[in-house]
Amino acid sequence: MTDAASNLLPATNEDTCGPYFPIYFADPALEDLTRFDPGVVGAAAGTAIILRGRVLDRHGELANGAVLEFWQANANGIYRTPATEGHEGIDPWFHGYGRMRIASGAYEFRTILPGAAPGRAPNVTITIFSDGINRIVTQVFFDGQAGNDSDPVLQAVGDDAPKLIARHDGRTASGAEVYVFDIVMAGPGETPFFDDLES
Amino acid sequence: MANQGRILGIGPTDNTSDQRTPRQRLRLIPEVARESFVPVVPARYAANPHEWDMTRTAPDRPRAAGVPIEVTGRVRTASGRAVAGALLEVWSANHFGRYRHIEDHSGLQLDENHLGLGRVLTDDAGRYRFWAISPGAYLARPDIGRWRPKHIHMSISGGSSRLITQMYFPGEPNNETDPMAILMGDAFERNLGIPRDAGDVDVEEAYDFDIVVGGRNATFFE
Ligand SMILES: [Fe+2]
Repeated sequence: MTDAASNLLPATNEDTCGPYFPIYFADPALEDLTRFDPGVVGAAAGTAIILRGRVLDRHGELANGAVLEFWQANANGIYRTPATEGHEGIDPWFHGYGRMRIASGAYEFRTILPGAAPGRAPNVTITIFSDGINRIVTQVFFDGQAGNDSDPVLQAVGDDAPKLIARHDGRTASGAEVYVFDIVMAGPGETPFFDDLES
Repeated sequence: MANQGRILGIGPTDNTSDQRTPRQRLRLIPEVARESFVPVVPARYAANPHEWDMTRTAPDRPRAAGVPIEVTGRVRTASGRAVAGALLEVWSANHFGRYRHIEDHSGLQLDENHLGLGRVLTDDAGRYRFWAISPGAYLARPDIGRWRPKHIHMSISGGSSRLITQMYFPGEPNNETDPMAILMGDAFERNLGIPRDAGDVDVEEAYDFDIVVGGRNATFFE
């Protein structure tokens, strides 16, 4: 879809969020999707995981002040969208959207292991906003999952596929599986990012 | 449809942009996976009812220093549909160019009557309104004398519509040298607030800023 596609309104330009995205806008419920809200009975179905890692710039420095957004299917592999309204596989306690500002550049996102959507391996879409850029997008996969070998996104990046697979790093005392995924914004070892405007 | 992804531009004179902008061409998303890249933000927003007025820290507190302004507009998708019930998160510097953010170490003057933080929702027609203090420009690169022009940050979330942008002010001398504005080229004018008469509202200036959430994500589940 481009401006050449005639009767579309010209889009407002994306712009950087700058270094001062307000900490005031943080919502703890969007940083831990395993529970619906603190103090409420109701929890997402599935295997609890901790997805953690660093966001690094092209010199290997931590990208402080970045804002991460996460998007994933529930344990049944169903995304909660208008298209799946009323689907029997919807988990009422899981919407699949997470957001956090990471002051240091290291992140830790608590969620459940997504199920495999049809034709896909389990994955989480990660959007990164930060000073110096507008928005970059990628998908992270999980080491050892069936379907990684045939996932179309992993196949599309060819030899770079290992850069999109989070490493399993054991289990916490409370039973959450830990996965480690570093995001390299630029330079050596750069993470593959995707174009959701031209695709 | 283009057959290759974009190469992202690096903002001139912006060190952080040099450090953080991917150098590789963006990869195309296989069609079968396209929909999985479209987050749908749940409408479970927390916005305090007084936050539309960012000219004071609370309804019973004095006005902050500087010029109070009103900003109004509509949020629509590229196909013209109103984005109703969307969350606008707004943040801006005070009259002196200082953010009340714990990581703003500029040393510029703080204002005890200014937070510069507000959240408002769009109505059924996609309209929004807030008051703010006209923000000060600030020196972003003292070594080369490059300023960030006056701007108000906005983040818009509504269903599959998602945009983080900035509203700029027309005729500001620093607009031409702003790294991100340079990357926008002629399209920069879309990000300018349009001055209008403030009417009998208790502000000194008023601006219209209509927002069009573009890209494929905005209209995916339309
Ligand atoms: Fe700013």
